[in-house]
Amino acid sequence: MKDNVIIKTEDLCKHYNGGAIRALDGVSAEIKKGEVVVVIGPSGSGKSTFLRSLNLLEIPTGGKIFFEDVDITNPKLDVNVYRRKMGMVFQHFNLFPHMTILRNMTIAPMKLLKKTKEEAEVKALELLKLVGLEDRADSYPSQLSGGQKQRVAIVRALCMEPEVMLFDEPTSALDPEMVGEVLDVMKNLAESGMTMLVVTHEMGFAKEVASRVIFMDEGQIIEEGTPNDIFDNPQNSRTQLFLSKVL
Amino acid sequence: MEWFNKWLDTLYNTFIVEQRYMTIVSGFEKTLVITFGALIIGVVIGTIVAIIKVFADGNKKLKIFDIICNIYLTIIRGTPVVVQLLIAFFIIFVSAKDGTMVAIITFGVNSGAYVAETIRSGIMAVDSGQMEAGRALGFSKLRTMQYIILPQAFKNILPAIGNEMIALLKETSVAGYVAVVDITKAANTIKNTTYDHINPIMLVALIYLILVIGLTKLLSVFERRLRKSER
Repeated sequence: MKDNVIIKTEDLCKHYNGGAIRALDGVSAEIKKGEVVVVIGPSGSGKSTFLRSLNLLEIPTGGKIFFEDVDITNPKLDVNVYRRKMGMVFQHFNLFPHMTILRNMTIAPMKLLKKTKEEAEVKALELLKLVGLEDRADSYPSQLSGGQKQRVAIVRALCMEPEVMLFDEPTSALDPEMVGEVLDVMKNLAESGMTMLVVTHEMGFAKEVASRVIFMDEGQIIEEGTPNDIFDNPQNSRTQLFLSKVL
Repeated sequence: MEWFNKWLDTLYNTFIVEQRYMTIVSGFEKTLVITFGALIIGVVIGTIVAIIKVFADGNKKLKIFDIICNIYLTIIRGTPVVVQLLIAFFIIFVSAKDGTMVAIITFGVNSGAYVAETIRSGIMAVDSGQMEAGRALGFSKLRTMQYIILPQAFKNILPAIGNEMIALLKETSVAGYVAVVDITKAANTIKNTTYDHINPIMLVALIYLILVIGLTKLLSVFERRLRKSER
């Protein structure tokens, strides 16, 4: 890996209607090992599309994505192998409602990493303990609160031992009093050295945890830098306008 | 009470003499075997067709399979099951001596066409985030279908599958067309031997009714169990 770059995009585009709508319009970015990159921007700015393109949940219409120097937009590649290395957390949790919490967490390691049931469960329980939910292992998702569901969703992704974690507005669907517990888990994860890319509206989290902040608008990266650069001394007028509205 | 004793006499003559009730018993077995056999085939075919149709939506490589499925659906839904039964027995499986197997296959293939649409709607009703979550973990589309989507889809459509089973049970009463002695044919046979035009038919009607009521009960119990995870 060159300079510890885990994910690199080159001129990433997602156009609809023959270019009339440009969700992504030439996004080039790098994420290095151990970095916590927070993507902010107004709604419809393409930040979620960018994040979802990285593990090809959205298929880009142009440009390239390199994961550890491998171009994963190459259609001959088995993308499933690379998705296993990228954990993803969704706005709406997307836990599997017909499985217990433990099963939610062990099914992928068992089926995809060929772990034994015991191995997978030991790991899952360890992670559940870390987020304070070890006593909910046999519950079903519907028995959990939103914050608990999202914490489970985070550790479910961690069970696959990913190289990088992608967060798609992880606290946007939560009641306000539950946002904190999820951000705490993410903060701990960042401190443990996990590489993270987070799309969020939580500016406090960005200021405190991010090693780099990317501001996107109209499918493009407008400005990027350290939290101090972006929040205290934004250069671009659009960044200034956005921040004046949300801060 | 005279009429009652007379009725008992008739029943005795109709069902007990020459152990004619055994015809009903073996017909009953045939009906059940055909219903459950056909249901299994129907659900298997229905699931396969539903998955193909879901996957073919927006995938040009699968277009040809989609066309084949559509032809199957059109033909099966466009012709009566009795005609399909006759075609199967007298044209396709000409060498078949026993109509039972032919009946199971025909009713199964027929049911598959109706089940397919039910299962497809069940799949579509599962939140699209579930497919995304499965794919994001690294499961292929087919595996996500298998482990994550289909179990939820089946739970959604269980009542519909149950209704299909009940419909199938009643539909199999035309199996007599291809020399299968199911319970309806059994009643008809007894009617023709004994000239008792009332009791064999009424008995069979009663048996169908009890079966359907029983299945409906069973289904609601089963459904309640499955709902457990949705508390």
